[in-house]
Amino acid sequence: MLVVEGLTCRFGTKAAVDNASFSIAPGSFVGVIGRSGAGKSTLLRMINRLAAPTEGRILFEGVDVTALRGKDLRQWRARSAMIFQQFNLVGRLDVLTNVLMGRLAAIPSWRSLTQAWPEQDKALAMSALEQFDMASLAAQRADQLSGGQQQRVAIARALVQEPDIILADEPIASLDPRNTRIVMDALLRINKHFGITVICNLHSLDLARSYCDRLIGMSAGRVVFDGAPAVLTDLIARELYDLEANDVMGSASPVPDGATVPELGTAAAA
Amino acid sequence: MTRLPVPDSGDLRGRYPEVFDRPVSSRLALPAMLLGAFGIFAFGLVELEFSPARMLAGLNQLGWITMMMIPPDPGSSLPAYLVALGETLSIALLGTTLAAVLALPISLLAAKNIVPSNIFRFPVRRFLDSIRGVDTLIWALVWINVVGLGPFAGVLAIAVSDFGAFGKLFSEAIEGADRKQVEGIRASGGNALHEIRFGLMPQVLPVIAGQVLYFIESNTRSATIIGIVGAGGIGLQLAEQIRVLEWQKVSFLILMILVAVAAIDWISGKLRFAIIGKRAVA
Repeated sequence: MLVVEGLTCRFGTKAAVDNASFSIAPGSFVGVIGRSGAGKSTLLRMINRLAAPTEGRILFEGVDVTALRGKDLRQWRARSAMIFQQFNLVGRLDVLTNVLMGRLAAIPSWRSLTQAWPEQDKALAMSALEQFDMASLAAQRADQLSGGQQQRVAIARALVQEPDIILADEPIASLDPRNTRIVMDALLRINKHFGITVICNLHSLDLARSYCDRLIGMSAGRVVFDGAPAVLTDLIARELYDLEANDVMGSASPVPDGATVPELGTAAAA
Repeated sequence: MTRLPVPDSGDLRGRYPEVFDRPVSSRLALPAMLLGAFGIFAFGLVELEFSPARMLAGLNQLGWITMMMIPPDPGSSLPAYLVALGETLSIALLGTTLAAVLALPISLLAAKNIVPSNIFRFPVRRFLDSIRGVDTLIWALVWINVVGLGPFAGVLAIAVSDFGAFGKLFSEAIEGADRKQVEGIRASGGNALHEIRFGLMPQVLPVIAGQVLYFIESNTRSATIIGIVGAGGIGLQLAEQIRVLEWQKVSFLILMILVAVAAIDWISGKLRFAIIGKRAVA
């Protein structure tokens, strides 16, 4: 159980996230929706501790995550894996090494720094890549891959962290419609198959409705909606998005009819 | 042919006076600046006793020296010259490598994204600046007095002066690295060493390698110069032959240096392409 209590993050006088409180049950697929600049990214970055909260607490299974330091903090970051809009892979490292970055918190530093990766960890990384049909590209440099391929490598990196939560910060915002679907399906598969909680920032309301089983709506840093997608009426959505409403609610982005859960390993065939 | 209607210049002049009548100060600024620059130049010529007469008189001498240089001929000293050239190349190579190895850890301390605190970074930067402020030649003179004449002093001179330059260049390369890639490592649970090793170094090392290669190239020339003041190598031979007026040997030595520098240029260019990739250079 992830509990967020009165979480606030101020940059100067402006509150990027303002007194956010909610709790998320294990295994759920939560979409965080709202306009650009509503505080969605900052919220996710605070949970991973990439951004420091000004006030409030984050509790995971009763442990105050906001107070963690040193090795404990790094273990927490591994448990709450982050997926970024710009993938944040190391371009000049090969795909396999990029995925192995997900093992940094789990293996001794002398091994990782000398690149003496244990066989077991390499196997873990390769099998994660295989699940997303990327194993054949393991030796390629990450900056030579397409955006969709890079995001799948990033998801593999997140998966080998053996996380309890995956925090996906606009994971499909830099991708074309086909890759959007591949990446969202991959997240959904991880969620259903491994029971990993997914918290996903999404700009597109249609995508959020079809993939998530709970939506958190943010506006100007505040949580203004929290409930099942079915409860989110068009009226609330229009308030949430204001002038952008027509853009995000239109059927501009293709969405699969009713998100079905693909079996593990079927993305390769898709 | 198109004819534009004739505009009312009086009306336009009234609305945009500054376009039609530029103030005297702005019209005189350029000529005044040129005049001032010429004045400084003329003053310098007088002050440094520049005299065309002496140049003309010396021209004769220059022609004579050139005549004496032809044909270039090493006499019986070719083996000694080759050893000296090898010494110069090793001074450049060792000095630059030593400088790079020492500068890399220090440059991390001078980079804003590694050490955010101004208070800690400032002394490191000033330290590098002051080392860099002293030329290689001066360092050579210093080291000759410390460790004696010879190539060892040359290696130390290049190592120390380029340590300062590398420290600055490397830290700027580190500061220019993409923050997102480092953040990816941090978000996965990596510690500070991991961030540097996997997030920064893959981005920065190709840049650094290119800079080191360029310095090896330019230090081949510097090593010749510091040889003249006694730090060993081919510069020492060159200085001696000029002193005893063996012009044929001088011209041969100069040709040797030119060939060596061109060869190093070519090799390091190839290596740089191989490391950075054509794309980055184009």
